[in-house]
Amino acid sequence: MARRRRLERKPLLAVVATVVFFAWLYLPILAVALFSFNDKKSLSSFSGFSLRWYDDLVHDRALLDSLVASLTIASIATVGSLVLGTMLALGLERVTSRRGRVIGAVTLLPLVTPEIVTGVAALLLFTGIGMKLSMTTVVLAEITFSIAYVTVIVRGRLTAIALEVEEAARDLGCTPAQAVRLVILPMLVPALLGAGLLVFALVFDDFVLAFFTTGVDPQPLPVRVYSSIRFGVSPSINAIGTLMLLGSALLIVAALTLPRLFGRGQSSLDLITGGHR
Amino acid sequence: MTTVEQGDVHTGTRRSAQRTSLWGWLLALPTAWMVTFFVSSMALIVMLSFGRTTNDGYPAFAASTANYRAIWNEVYLELFLRSLLYALATVVISALIAYPVAYAIALHGGRYKNALIAAIVVPFFASYLVRMYAWKALLSDDGLVNSGLRASGISDGVTFLNTPWAVVGGLVYGFVVFMILPVYASLERLDTSLIEAGKDLYHGPVRTFVGVTLPATRAGLYGGALLVFLPALGDFVSAQLLGGASTYMMGNLVQQQFAEGQNWPLGSALTVGMMAALTVLMVAYLRATATRGGER
Repeated sequence: MARRRRLERKPLLAVVATVVFFAWLYLPILAVALFSFNDKKSLSSFSGFSLRWYDDLVHDRALLDSLVASLTIASIATVGSLVLGTMLALGLERVTSRRGRVIGAVTLLPLVTPEIVTGVAALLLFTGIGMKLSMTTVVLAEITFSIAYVTVIVRGRLTAIALEVEEAARDLGCTPAQAVRLVILPMLVPALLGAGLLVFALVFDDFVLAFFTTGVDPQPLPVRVYSSIRFGVSPSINAIGTLMLLGSALLIVAALTLPRLFGRGQSSLDLITGGHR
Repeated sequence: MTTVEQGDVHTGTRRSAQRTSLWGWLLALPTAWMVTFFVSSMALIVMLSFGRTTNDGYPAFAASTANYRAIWNEVYLELFLRSLLYALATVVISALIAYPVAYAIALHGGRYKNALIAAIVVPFFASYLVRMYAWKALLSDDGLVNSGLRASGISDGVTFLNTPWAVVGGLVYGFVVFMILPVYASLERLDTSLIEAGKDLYHGPVRTFVGVTLPATRAGLYGGALLVFLPALGDFVSAQLLGGASTYMMGNLVQQQFAEGQNWPLGSALTVGMMAALTVLMVAYLRATATRGGER
């Protein structure tokens, strides 16, 4: 970056486009947030500040059940995909055979498969083997979908810590398992934290997979929100929406910044953008 | 990919690392998981797409191509074409929006670069559904846009919802980040001395852009196009919430077969058709980028 010479002229068109883009990006979200505090039902004129729509939420038993369900699903799926994804990343990092490459490709497939396909496929599988659709089936589907994210992020970090560290540990008398447990895993903590937060946010918000794999009650929050949106636009959805946006925004910000606080390693943002420094 | 090269370079260390069966054991569980829950479910879809619905309405395996023949009719083909068109329009509009934004941030963002990219990424990774809802609320008949139009006296209100514009707009709003990120990454990697060279050769800004910048960032645009096209073609939320039956896409049709219509074999065939279309595109993308591998 230091090598780069400064370009003298700012391209006016691109700058204007960027400003307009940010307005377009945030206007709908901010409007939803603003009108969630409206004391009337209107979505166009703000008549006064009120917390009545939030009050409604707190007293909506079914909605709170959905919230708890979503938090539970996201927690379990995060732990599950972190364990499996890390094992996969470690294994793929060292097994360089053809078999390893095939496994690597197959495990990345969920990333390039439209969610609706993964969703209906999971639905077929679970009903095919006679599993009743429930929170369990949602968790299983979400773990399957999330492993690839963990693997990509952890592998990005693994290539940075390289073989030498592990070699050194081996020279000092560690068994391979000890080297992984005592040396590699602690070095992976920032990446695992970032991946964990990202997966939690993605799973908590995920609608499509949850829609196809959920049973009747309690439905995950996004599924419940979807059915209420279909009935129309109401201020209480504004309130849920605002809370959901706020919650996941906080998680994503944490996922982006926390790994960086731990040191000079790549942050999840670099991994998402492919940026190198 | 880098890992494979690394392993080849460190042949000495690789041997000692491979002397243990640890790595194979670590791979076994996640591989078994993926085969059980992903590979087998995909295989099920393909198998059921040749299946049939029994008289009492249950899906059953068979060896008939009836579902594929059923898809091959005017109604479905029109819907299929509409999906392709919407997804394609989404890609093009996303590229038109994403390029200037990525350009301004990558080349002129200075020390705010990371903050600006984060400001784009954060809302995109937060609730797709809520963002679609926000878009719907904004465009609805008594929404902010229409009340703004009415207040300014420009118009008595415009019907946005239930039009292709709202649906494609929603798709762009939903997925444009997948275009911005790869284009941004390729612009970040761009050697700006190339632009300087263009200027030194007395190229105007337009000619420099078309002749130098654009070709050098082609890979980012191709990557972005794929990343936007994939989810846009399979999406059913946008057309469901912002459009209506006349804007339904393949995703809506698949969703109907599985959630409402209960014709799972037909839904499976539709899904396989969607995957086939995407695979063709993916192969085309890999071909297009592979031949230019040396450029990076």
